[in-house]
Amino acid sequence: MRFSLDDEQGLVVQTIKRFSDRDLRGWAADADRAGAPPDKLTAMGGELGFFIDAVPAEHDGMLEGAYAHATRALRGFELGRGCAGLAALLETNVEPALAVGRWGSPAAKQALFGSLASGGLATFIFDSRAALDVVPEGDGVRVTGSLGPAPALGAASHVVLATRDLLLLVDASALTREAITPSGWRAAKWGTARVDARVAADFVIARDADAVRMVLAWSHVSLAARAAGVATASMEYAAQYATERVQFGQAIGTFESLIRLRDDAQTGAHAARLVALHAAWALDAGLPDAFDFASRARVLANDVVARATIDAVQIFGGYGFVNDYPVEKLMRDARPFEALHGDERFNRVLASKE
Amino acid sequence: MDLFHDSPMFNGVRQMLGAFAKQSIRPIATKHDLEESMPWDLMKMAQGFGLTQTAVLDGRKKLTGQDEDPDPKKPKSQSRISVVGSEELAYGCAGICLALGGSGLAASPVSRMGTTEQKEEFRKLLAGLDEKGHIKVAAMALSEPSTGSDISGLSTSARKDGDHWIIRGSKQWITNGQSAAVFVVWAQTEPAAGRAGVRGFIVARGTPGLIPGKKETKLGIRASETAQVHFEDVRVHTDMMLGAGSQGGLSDTKKMLDSTRPVVAAQAVGIARAAYDYLLDRVRGGTTRGTPLASHQHIMFELAEMNMEITASRLLAHRAAWLADHHQENVAEASMAKAHAARTAQHVTTRAMVLLGEEALQPGHPVEKWYRDAKIYDIFEGTGQIQRRIIAKHLTGTNPV
Repeated sequence: MRFSLDDEQGLVVQTIKRFSDRDLRGWAADADRAGAPPDKLTAMGGELGFFIDAVPAEHDGMLEGAYAHATRALRGFELGRGCAGLAALLETNVEPALAVGRWGSPAAKQALFGSLASGGLATFIFDSRAALDVVPEGDGVRVTGSLGPAPALGAASHVVLATRDLLLLVDASALTREAITPSGWRAAKWGTARVDARVAADFVIARDADAVRMVLAWSHVSLAARAAGVATASMEYAAQYATERVQFGQAIGTFESLIRLRDDAQTGAHAARLVALHAAWALDAGLPDAFDFASRARVLANDVVARATIDAVQIFGGYGFVNDYPVEKLMRDARPFEALHGDERFNRVLASKE
Repeated sequence: MDLFHDSPMFNGVRQMLGAFAKQSIRPIATKHDLEESMPWDLMKMAQGFGLTQTAVLDGRKKLTGQDEDPDPKKPKSQSRISVVGSEELAYGCAGICLALGGSGLAASPVSRMGTTEQKEEFRKLLAGLDEKGHIKVAAMALSEPSTGSDISGLSTSARKDGDHWIIRGSKQWITNGQSAAVFVVWAQTEPAAGRAGVRGFIVARGTPGLIPGKKETKLGIRASETAQVHFEDVRVHTDMMLGAGSQGGLSDTKKMLDSTRPVVAAQAVGIARAAYDYLLDRVRGGTTRGTPLASHQHIMFELAEMNMEITASRLLAHRAAWLADHHQENVAEASMAKAHAARTAQHVTTRAMVLLGEEALQPGHPVEKWYRDAKIYDIFEGTGQIQRRIIAKHLTGTNPV
């Protein structure tokens, strides 16, 4: 058993960590206030290989051979340390591109990859409550209902929609969309949408519950890694502040109760990162338990990021509650991790009864 | 039977303010949260309910139509009325509840330590409307940039100059800090005396050198204004210093917290109950994958847990208030109530968001707002750590570090 990174992974971590520390953290507060990413994100993200890293090379993307989820999880952790909202945009194309690349018809590939290669965004949405109406229509299906809130939905050209055992590629022109700015990941170009569309057979990219589970697993691992990054960042800020802030004649970081808050959060973040990486490794290795590991990674990471960000605000005290310091944003940013794709604990409970 | 609501007086307050919260506060809560604005019109309207900016000075007379028994040995009901009422107001919106009660923070020390003349001056400064047509509000200016939990190290100074004091320093996290017509500012008059040297001063807006500072953008309670306030050699007449001799120092302020903590706890209970009710309502009619949400232990046991926590928090708050009303020491009980309710509010709002899923991400969603509002209850009026320190000291007599 080896926990060390290979050369490529080491390079990715080093590069993304630098990008995250210098650029994402530098942009985060302004992007949060503006509810929009900086213009530079597209260019700099593109230079670093984001947006088309999961698009096959033959479709003008960067993917040759198998996609490496472990590398993506390593990168996701560093992105989460930088800014969860901007990270969501940088990662949003991966699930749609991988799903269409794996199961999509030539028409679906042409539609999605054509858009992504020219700078488009796509997003993956899971109908966790099976609330959409889906009926056969011709050789395809008609899907009706509400989508979102979902990151990138406000700007995406395509949505990969998972509902029941179907994976559908939906062109955004079939949606009635509203761009929104929630309280967390504010820069992530969120949207809600009404869909009432016929999805032709070519765009029904899978009729297979395992395909849905696989795309969810990709997403779970990435979300878990990013959540671990947010939790880690919250305690990096809080630990630093706790060495500077003096109350009752001592740095507050030397009070045992605050040492414990910090230490528990760090323990949790460390565990969440490892469990996410392990699930990613299992996905890359094609292990049968990989989907389950991915789901568990998300349950753990959600708990960890919720607790760590609330406790980081606690350590900052009154300063934690105001917008001049970075941690209140992190407490808001913790929410979408738990909300997206529904309550993962509940999903697991329901799945175990099926 | 509900032990602590079993009286027509408490029930009357609960019903009146509960209806006010549902009909008048809740409908405007999202707007003031998103805009970060004070609910001035509502504050004016609330005066009709006895929710005046000087309500603390007036006792409960207006709210219940009855006077307290003047016999100091007889039990009072003020703390329990405040606890009952605050839960209802915060059920509507904690930020608006704090906007309605913000002046009370300043009125409280004036009520406890002020002379008849000082109380009259305080009332006079809050009478009428300001140039914007808003009712006038007061601010209690105690916390400082480097003095949050540890209020003994205040650096704002008051220097005697003839029959005036000259106040210099900066205050942080001051409720109503930008809008206040009158401030009660705390300053060190005698550094060698430590806490005993800290005194409160009544200072009118417009006094030269009193400069309202930056308004904070906050995570929650955004309908309540929080700002910095700067005092640059502000001259205040000696008549406006609260307390005299050994009376009126910071230790009296700490005693005041014993009476406000149950009320603050009740507000946290109000937030938790709001989120709980919202979730319960959604669960009653909702389905997932074709099954009723209410048929799932996963959800219903969480609601049961929330109900237990909310009930326990409320009972702790009522116990602490009952002790205060019966002139019994309630230091540890007040801290228990506050710490427990803060934890409950955070837990219930966080779990409610998780159980609601994507829905709760909608901008302006009430549960998301309550999640943000709840956090301050573990920070202000003594952090959760300070409350546990107080409880711990009560157990052994020493301060653990």
